[in-house]
Amino acid sequence: MSITYTHRHVLEDHITGFEARPNVNHLSVIRRPAMAVVLAHGGAESDVDLALDMIEGVSKRVCGPAEWLAVAQDRTPESLLRALTSIPGASVLDGSDGHVLMRIDGPHARKVLAKCVAVDLHPDVFPIDMSAPMLIAHVAGNLARTGENSFEIIVPRSFAGTVFEEMKEMGRDVALTAGFG
Amino acid sequence: MTPHRLSTGGLVNRAMPLRFSFDGKPLKGFAGDTLSSALLANGQMLMGRSFKYHRPRGPVTAGSAEPNALVTLGEGARSEPNARATVAELYEGMAARSQNRWPSLSYDVGSVNSLFSPFLSAGFYYKTFMWPASFWEKVYEPLIRRAAGLGRAVMAPDPDRYEKAWAHCDLLVIGAGPTGLMATLAAARAGLRVILADEDFRQGGSLLSETAVVGGLPAADFAAAILAELETLSNVTLMARTTVFGWYDDMVFGAVEKVQKHVALPDPDLPVERVWRIVAKRALLATGAEERPLAFGGNDRPGVMTAGAARTYLNRYGVAVGRKVAVFANGGSGYRTAADLTAAGIDVTAIIDPRTEISRAQVDLAGESLRILSGASVTATRGRLGLAGLVAERSGHEEVIDCDALLMSGGWSPVVHLLCQRGRKPVWSVAHQAFLAPDVGAAFVPAGSAAGLARLSACLRDGAEKAVALARDLGFAAYDTDIPPVEGEYDPAFAPLWYVQGSKGKAFVDFQNDVTVGDLSLSQREAFGHIEHTKRYTTGGMATDQGKLGNVNTIGIVSGMRGVSPEAVGTTTFRPFYTPVSFGALAGTARAEQARPTRRSPLHGWAARHGAVFVEAGLWHRSAWFPRAGEKTWREAVDREVLTVRENAGLCDVSTLGKIEIFGTQAAEFLNRVYSNAFLKLSVGKARYGLMLREDGIVFDDGTTSRLGPNHYVMTTTTAYAAEVMAHLDYCAQVLFPELDVRFASTTDQWAQMSLAGPKSRIILQRLVEDDLSDSAFPFLAAREVTLKGGLAARLFRISFSGELAYELAVPAGFGEAVADHLMEAGREDGICAYGVEALNVLRIEKGHVTHSELDGRTTADDVGLGRMMALQKPDFIGKRLSTRFGLTAADRLQMVGLKPIEPDAEIRAGAHLLKENAKPSTTNDQGFVSSACYSPTLGRHIALALLKSGRERIGEKILVWDRLRESEVLAEVCSPVFVDPDNLKLRD
Repeated sequence: MSITYTHRHVLEDHITGFEARPNVNHLSVIRRPAMAVVLAHGGAESDVDLALDMIEGVSKRVCGPAEWLAVAQDRTPESLLRALTSIPGASVLDGSDGHVLMRIDGPHARKVLAKCVAVDLHPDVFPIDMSAPMLIAHVAGNLARTGENSFEIIVPRSFAGTVFEEMKEMGRDVALTAGFG
Repeated sequence: MTPHRLSTGGLVNRAMPLRFSFDGKPLKGFAGDTLSSALLANGQMLMGRSFKYHRPRGPVTAGSAEPNALVTLGEGARSEPNARATVAELYEGMAARSQNRWPSLSYDVGSVNSLFSPFLSAGFYYKTFMWPASFWEKVYEPLIRRAAGLGRAVMAPDPDRYEKAWAHCDLLVIGAGPTGLMATLAAARAGLRVILADEDFRQGGSLLSETAVVGGLPAADFAAAILAELETLSNVTLMARTTVFGWYDDMVFGAVEKVQKHVALPDPDLPVERVWRIVAKRALLATGAEERPLAFGGNDRPGVMTAGAARTYLNRYGVAVGRKVAVFANGGSGYRTAADLTAAGIDVTAIIDPRTEISRAQVDLAGESLRILSGASVTATRGRLGLAGLVAERSGHEEVIDCDALLMSGGWSPVVHLLCQRGRKPVWSVAHQAFLAPDVGAAFVPAGSAAGLARLSACLRDGAEKAVALARDLGFAAYDTDIPPVEGEYDPAFAPLWYVQGSKGKAFVDFQNDVTVGDLSLSQREAFGHIEHTKRYTTGGMATDQGKLGNVNTIGIVSGMRGVSPEAVGTTTFRPFYTPVSFGALAGTARAEQARPTRRSPLHGWAARHGAVFVEAGLWHRSAWFPRAGEKTWREAVDREVLTVRENAGLCDVSTLGKIEIFGTQAAEFLNRVYSNAFLKLSVGKARYGLMLREDGIVFDDGTTSRLGPNHYVMTTTTAYAAEVMAHLDYCAQVLFPELDVRFASTTDQWAQMSLAGPKSRIILQRLVEDDLSDSAFPFLAAREVTLKGGLAARLFRISFSGELAYELAVPAGFGEAVADHLMEAGREDGICAYGVEALNVLRIEKGHVTHSELDGRTTADDVGLGRMMALQKPDFIGKRLSTRFGLTAADRLQMVGLKPIEPDAEIRAGAHLLKENAKPSTTNDQGFVSSACYSPTLGRHIALALLKSGRERIGEKILVWDRLRESEVLAEVCSPVFVDPDNLKLRD
């Protein structure tokens, strides 16, 4: 007997598919990114850090001392894991299902985020490619700046509904739209 | 033109008239008016009734310290009580109502209180309504509260949105007056990120009321020019309508922005108010100074206000507060206002000045035609609902002077509240005759009038210089800013006058709370002399204005009564909020379902499809039970679920258990130290139950840990303690055992985990799993990766909480619902059911397994029958040393036992206390308590787990289960806590 298991995104309960077309300010939920937690063992911290920068198509997110999330939007979780487990001194675990990745774009992205995070997102303080763990809408997550007006948000799956709804609420005054994409 | 609106002057927009109403009466004002200026322009000086005596009152100020002109704004659910008319921005359609009066503002029955005022002094209520004590809460207080009071809150839900946001800057400038504007300009030019916050809807502070010429421009135009430059700078954020209300730890300031309080119908996509948390590296307090009223008889009559307020109404709003005006002042401020009024064509009848020596500059300012009564005081006022005249007294000679407004000035007090909110008290300055801000360090300093300066030119310079100094302190190359010249300054000198000798009638010190000089005297006589006691006894300085106007006079008068300096009296404590902040703003979006985050299991949708009733467990929403058609009570569903698990099989969502993945060559050693039982020899592919203690030897948490590879483990924790265990492990790894090679991360959210329990669970699971699940291939406590049919990789653990043959299957969260659906389908012919945490709880009580009901932070491993989990042969583990303390090993400790009621139908409930049979029901005879109780459908009776003194020796004894709260007493037999399958035959089937 062969069985096919349907993979379900946790925000399918929140996104009907009948959303408005994206406005200038838009919150995109990435459907199946590959994400993995990378832990560096004692002495290998900087080597692992550097090695993560060398893997093509993988973005590195700082989660704490010697702990990162590796994110890839054009790889499968299995392929990402294979690439990461070859790094000496690192332990890796799949986090593709345990996290939800969202991206907010638009001229008012910072304005919306100022209502969700307590961290200063001025470009001098939080430049492109920087990431940090922080509370996002009261939930422990990770925020990264991916462009002048683009930020990626990673939160635990179980909290994603709360964060998604809260972000939409905070974006009402700038007509933030949201959907898979 | 209305009677008091001047034909020219002011900053109101005469091209934009606005309609509004006061107590239903339609009136007109202009854009740029406050409610108060618009009412005055319409000749409406009477705006409210006082708190206790219901005395008629008009505005005393033109700003945020206003104690009198409190009104209710808006209608229906949008009613806002106690709004200060002096800062309420007028808008088209504004509906304002007066408060604390019945039937109308001009005819108020409650003013009869005034006749009884000799009996209504401070402390009157406490002394009079003492007996009987029970009457205070039920009768007296509600009655008093109805008679005395402010506006009323509406009970309807607030229809509007509120939100909260963060802002960050190098420098926060609080107040956009002359000091704040120059400071912002200087800092902005140096390249700092500056936030300039001001509570007013128009920025400029005192410059908007000023007649002086600054930098060759009228003061208001000068303010506009600076603001225009600031608006072009990307490093400056101007926050108008934003009151900085509090200073908190780490240089975080709280501020509230009125986003839509000046519109009749708010845009639903915008908040009406927004609370800001402003994180500033440095801050400058440029909040200016507050003019002091004078304490003389009848000083609360509508028409009596501060000289500065009248000047603001005149110069900013083009409104004359009277047609025949008298001034009672002890310094330059009164002369300045008199000069402005005269220039506007208003009749100033006299300046009454208690000083005998007045500076040449001040006399010149008044002009030759103005009558000055030096060495004189106002001792009484005349009039009913408004001022008709005053009594001036000089050397025993009394003179009645007709007037419809009396402008008072008792000098100025710097507004230093924010600097005093974190413990430091203001400091009395003899030179300034005022309390100045304390030194709180270089990061937050006062400037301009807030620092005690009085002249405009000095404020401009101080603002710029202090901003430059702060910029340099932050490492910016800041250059000195040119200070614009000021023409038309005045001599601000004043002599303090706290109390006017010979006053007749009530001399109010705190207008809002109707506190008089006589009340202050009473509190001295009755030994409430300390200023904090005086405040509570008289209520002076309480309520919505928190004594912004009156406190300094209270202190001055009390110091006079005691014959000491104001320094010796000191101030009361300053706390946030500077001005009232609505609860809506503080709550932001966190209301109703949004009050806190919710967590959803990956199997939430599956459970919902099976009709689950959810229960909140921390932030999680867990499936509690799955009612089916015909089941009337939750118990029926739970009983069926339990029996189905015992007879067939059930599927339960256990995804919420904490899961921590652990890696490292010394992970085994790490686990061996954090668990009390042995972990070094756990082999790959096996799970083991583990018990964690706190350092003090008390049980912390329990769970299973499985070894998935030589250096790879996965630990489960209880749902409730997942975060605590993670923090504990972090502490152990980073602080206690940094030498161990171990790393770990939470993986709770990655896995959908389902418990499949019951005698038929293996048959059902085998239909879905490729690997061999026979007892020999996958024995009890096996734990390893398996492949589901179709190729999905999963983790399978043969562990059991119910005592049945059971497995926990974990799949990546996104596949959870699909796998659960397939399992239910695979088990349908075997009678599988979904079961919730309630059934799970019954199953574990029947089996005598503990949860945090037993591991309640007081119990040891031995107490709950897990003494064998203490591997004392290990060199050390957390909790080992202190677990041998005498108190933790005493023979009479509470030990876990089972309870069965003697009467088969009797019910035991958790929380009940245990007594010896025939003992008197009393906690002095306490023998323990019931920790968990349930109806056991397997046994057909109620059972319980309990903690009983020396319980294990008392198996078979009869015990009285005494439930005082629910008034029940049940006789029960002490038994083993394992009610089902004590020999674990089912587990290893």
